[in-house]
This record gives sequence, C-alpha cells and structure tokens, in this order.
Amino acid sequence: MTEPAESAQPNRAVGARRSLYFAALIAAIAALAWLSLYAGKARLDDTALGAQLWGLRAQRGAVAFFAGAALSLAGVVTQGLFRNPLASPSILGTTSGAQLGGELTLVLVYELLDNHVPAGISHEMLTPLGCVAGAVFALFVVLALSPLRASVVSLLLTGFLLSALFASLSALLRSLTAETWQLSRALTTLSLGSVSGAGRAQLALSGVLALGASLPAWLYFRELDVLMSGEEEASALGVDVTRMRSWCVVWTAVLVAGAVAVGASVPFVGLIVPHATRKLFGESHAALMPAAFLGGGLFLLLCDVLCRALPLRQEIPLSVITALVGVPVFLRILADMERGGTA
Amino acid sequence: MIEPVLRASDLRVLRGARAVLEGFQLAAAVGGVYALTGPNGAGKSTALKALAGLLPCSGQLQVSERPLRELRARERAKQIAYVPQQSLLQSGISVREVVLQGRYAHDPVWPERHKHTEPVERAMSQTDVLGLAARPWNQLSGGEQRRVLLARALATEAPVILLDEPTSSLDVAHALQLLVQLRELAAQGRCIVAVLHDLAQVEQYADVALLLHRGQTVAAGPAREVINSENVRRVYGVELVRNSALGYRLAEPAP
Repeated sequence: MTEPAESAQPNRAVGARRSLYFAALIAAIAALAWLSLYAGKARLDDTALGAQLWGLRAQRGAVAFFAGAALSLAGVVTQGLFRNPLASPSILGTTSGAQLGGELTLVLVYELLDNHVPAGISHEMLTPLGCVAGAVFALFVVLALSPLRASVVSLLLTGFLLSALFASLSALLRSLTAETWQLSRALTTLSLGSVSGAGRAQLALSGVLALGASLPAWLYFRELDVLMSGEEEASALGVDVTRMRSWCVVWTAVLVAGAVAVGASVPFVGLIVPHATRKLFGESHAALMPAAFLGGGLFLLLCDVLCRALPLRQEIPLSVITALVGVPVFLRILADMERGGTA
Repeated sequence: MIEPVLRASDLRVLRGARAVLEGFQLAAAVGGVYALTGPNGAGKSTALKALAGLLPCSGQLQVSERPLRELRARERAKQIAYVPQQSLLQSGISVREVVLQGRYAHDPVWPERHKHTEPVERAMSQTDVLGLAARPWNQLSGGEQRRVLLARALATEAPVILLDEPTSSLDVAHALQLLVQLRELAAQGRCIVAVLHDLAQVEQYADVALLLHRGQTVAAGPAREVINSENVRRVYGVELVRNSALGYRLAEPAP
C-alpha cells in the first residue's frame, strides 16, 4: 500500500532557489537605489546643492519603494481573499476608494473646519485616515456585492463600477473646490499618480504605513493558504473565515492608503508584481508575501527611475508606465483563466 | 455499548423559506461507517454540511458530548473533518502542502513543521499518496486528488470524518480501495459518515444507512435492512433486483 516516500531533496531545492531569488531581489533593490540617486536632469556634481538634491532623490526613491511594496502586498492579499489572480486594489476600486476618502478628508479639513485642525495634528496625519476609511469601504462594498465565489466577470464588473463611481465623485469634488486654490492644489497632489514631490513627511507616512501593515498582514499567510481551497473547506479546516477576512481587509486598506496618501495611486502594481513573484516564489503565502513586498518596491522604484531618466521635456507620471506594463499582464492572466489554466 | 461521538437530533436546514432538511437524527459512534443515501436532491449533502457545522441549522448537534455551536472553528476542526465531493483548490502547491493544511487547527499561528511531520506522513501513507508528496496539486488526476483530500482529513486526527460522495467519478478499483480504506479507518477508531449513491456500496460497506427523500429520513438502521425492495421502490420508484448486476471485489495481490 505504501509507496516509497519522495525524498526531501525537492523541498530543499525549492528552499535554496527561493533564497537565491530573495538575495537577487535585495541586490537589485540596492543597485537600483544607488542608481536612482543619479537619475534625473540635474547632476549631483554640477551644483552646490548636490547634497540637497541627493537627499531629495533618496526620499523620492524610498517613497516609490514603500508605495510599490504596499500596493503589491495589498494585491497578494486581495487575490488570496477573492481567490482570483485578477483581483488587485486598482481593479477592485480600492485605490480609487482610498483616493476619494483622502479627498473627502481634505475637503472636510479645508472647507468645514476652515483649515483649523486641532493642535498637534496635521493634514498629513488626517489624509491617510480618510484613505484607510475609503479603502475599507470600497473593499467591503465589493465583498458585499460580489461574494467570494462570484465569477471573474461579476467581480471585475463590480470593481469597474466602483472605480467609475469613485472617480466621478472625485471629479465632482475637484470641480466644486476649483476656486479654493490651496485645497485644489492638495487634491491634485493626491491624485497625481506620481512621487515627484515626495519629501520627508511622505517618506515617514509611506514607510510607517507600509511596514506597519505588512507584518500583521503577513501573519495571515496560513489562513490565505488554506483559503485557496475555498471558504467552505477553509472553515472546515478551522479557519474563522469572517474574522480573517475582516482583518485582511483592514490591513489591505492601510497598505493601499500608505501609497495613495503620498500621491502614488498608481494602477496595476498589485496585479503585475504578485503575478511575477508567484511564478518565481510559488503560491505559498509565507514566501510569496515578502517576495511581493520587495518585488513591488523594486518595480515602482524602477518605474520612477525610468520616469526621471527618459529624455522627455516633461517627466511622465508613474501611472503611465505601470499602466503600459499592467494592461498586457492583465490581458495575459485573463486569457490564461479563460483557457482554464492557472494564471 | 459505545457512546455516539456525533449526535444530531431534529436538525432542520432552511433554504429561503423552504426546509431542505427536516427532523434529521443521527447517533454515530467510533468504529462505525454510516451512509447517507437517497436520490438526487434528497438532502444528503445538506445533512453532511450541517453535521460539519458548515450550514446554519436548528436542532441539537453534539460532538464528543459538546454542543457543536459552542466550539470555535479550530476546536470543531479537531473533532470533525470534512471531505468535499470536489475541492475548489486549483493551485499548484505541492501535495504535502495540501495535506499540511489539515494541521492548521492544531497550530494556526506559527506552524512548527517538525511537529506535524509524523501525522502528515502517517495520513499520506494511509492514503497511499506519499509517492506524490512533491507533485503539484493541479497536476493530479481526479482519483489522486480524492486520496489527497482524504489524507488532509486524516491529518486533522479528528475522530469524525464526513465524506461527500467519496466514490463518485472514481473507477471501480479506486472506488473499492477507498471503501475498504473507510472500513479500515473505522476499525482504527474513527467514525465515518459518508454520502453514497450506490446502494450496493451502502449495503456492503456501511454499518448503518439513512435513506433520505425530499429532506426527510425515510428509513434508518442497519444498512442491510434499510436497503430493501419496499424502501427502494418508495424512494426511487424502481424495483430492486438482487444479484442482477456485475459485482466487483479487490483482486488478491500477485504472489
């Protein structure tokens, strides 16, 4: 009855390969971080302001890294929750929900509180709270309207409708506040899809939110693994599905808010990077989640370096590059799913 | 007399306003194989899911003398293992990873793999899937996946194992192997409750049968008594003809 056990060799080989990939990821991040200091029109050695420029570029690069890492990890968690490789924050409307939440907070601060926030509190602190609330709201709406077992089409349509609704409301907010210069500028910065103006405050915000939410999100790696078998089987195996889903929604929202609140509401990062890292690191979330975090950071840092380095008159927004890469990846995954293969 | 490990009385499951299961009773003890049978739509799978605590239902449901509703998901999973007719898992994770999922309830926060090596290996050995350990799940045949799902259920070390149509879509040999295995597991101290369609399998491999029809239990008792001409005619509308079909048994291993 008993067949000979397969040796532990394959497991060790998989572990060694993953370690190698992690080392390569870290090396690539280090190399690109160094390169990013030199990417841009102004040259460090050309000006007396070299040190300052160096600092600005370092902050901007770090913000791009944390925003990419957060969006990518949020993508892995949402894909795990919905058991769907196409479910990512930008496609499900989470990013636009976070953006609308942040914008509403700004309007509240400028218009209703007349720009008088309590002592010790700044806009930078309030905007991410609004982003988190908006992202949580958007995720719960998708969960309510499109249950976990819903078809790909209904999930995508729900996400599309939500994104359209949130984008329309954002546009309405901007048009209503166009005459208030300071507020209008703050809203534009939030929706820029770029990290070009990122400074110390943005770095602290994106770093704290990305790092602070990634660890508690990662602690759900076993639940996300078991949830791959569906809600019913996961429940039978002992997962408190309702509880884990609620917490995963909260941490995903914080991750997305960490990127959106610093202006990096860029689409497709949570789709492209998890897709690529899943190919390299496998589907077990214990390794996939940190790999997607590092990979997302690397990807957005690379996009930011490209934005700066391309010989164009004006710097293009990050979202243009991520969309150019993201759309073909999306179509490829969709085609794989239509063929019944695993994406 | 052995005390029942799983006891259900007056279970009722509603789908909308309609009762799809009503007045369901079961007292299942370790060492026994219990079959839920009946025509399509009789409420067999519903009853099984209700027993597993996966469907909201009214009535009393106890496992190891504790009300199932009072148990947290992890405690419930240590008492009752559920094997679905077909898993929704489509991933390429290895067979060993799938079986390791059965240990989730024992060690949910931080999995110490070495602690689970023995139960996982034992479950894989019992279901003959040790040789598939490193194979990706999505490259297994339907029969292999069934064995892996059973291994995952065994890895939970739960005394009660619920199986939804475990022999459907299996060929004759694999179906027989599985049924023999269920009898062995019962003999080793498990309580097996399975939804079975084939009345011959029910009669041959189950100790107790519950014949369901339109959500009601039409007959319950020793399998050989429940599967009789009158019940079969009443529930299925067909005549029972004994010794008329092909029969199978597992072949003796070659010397």
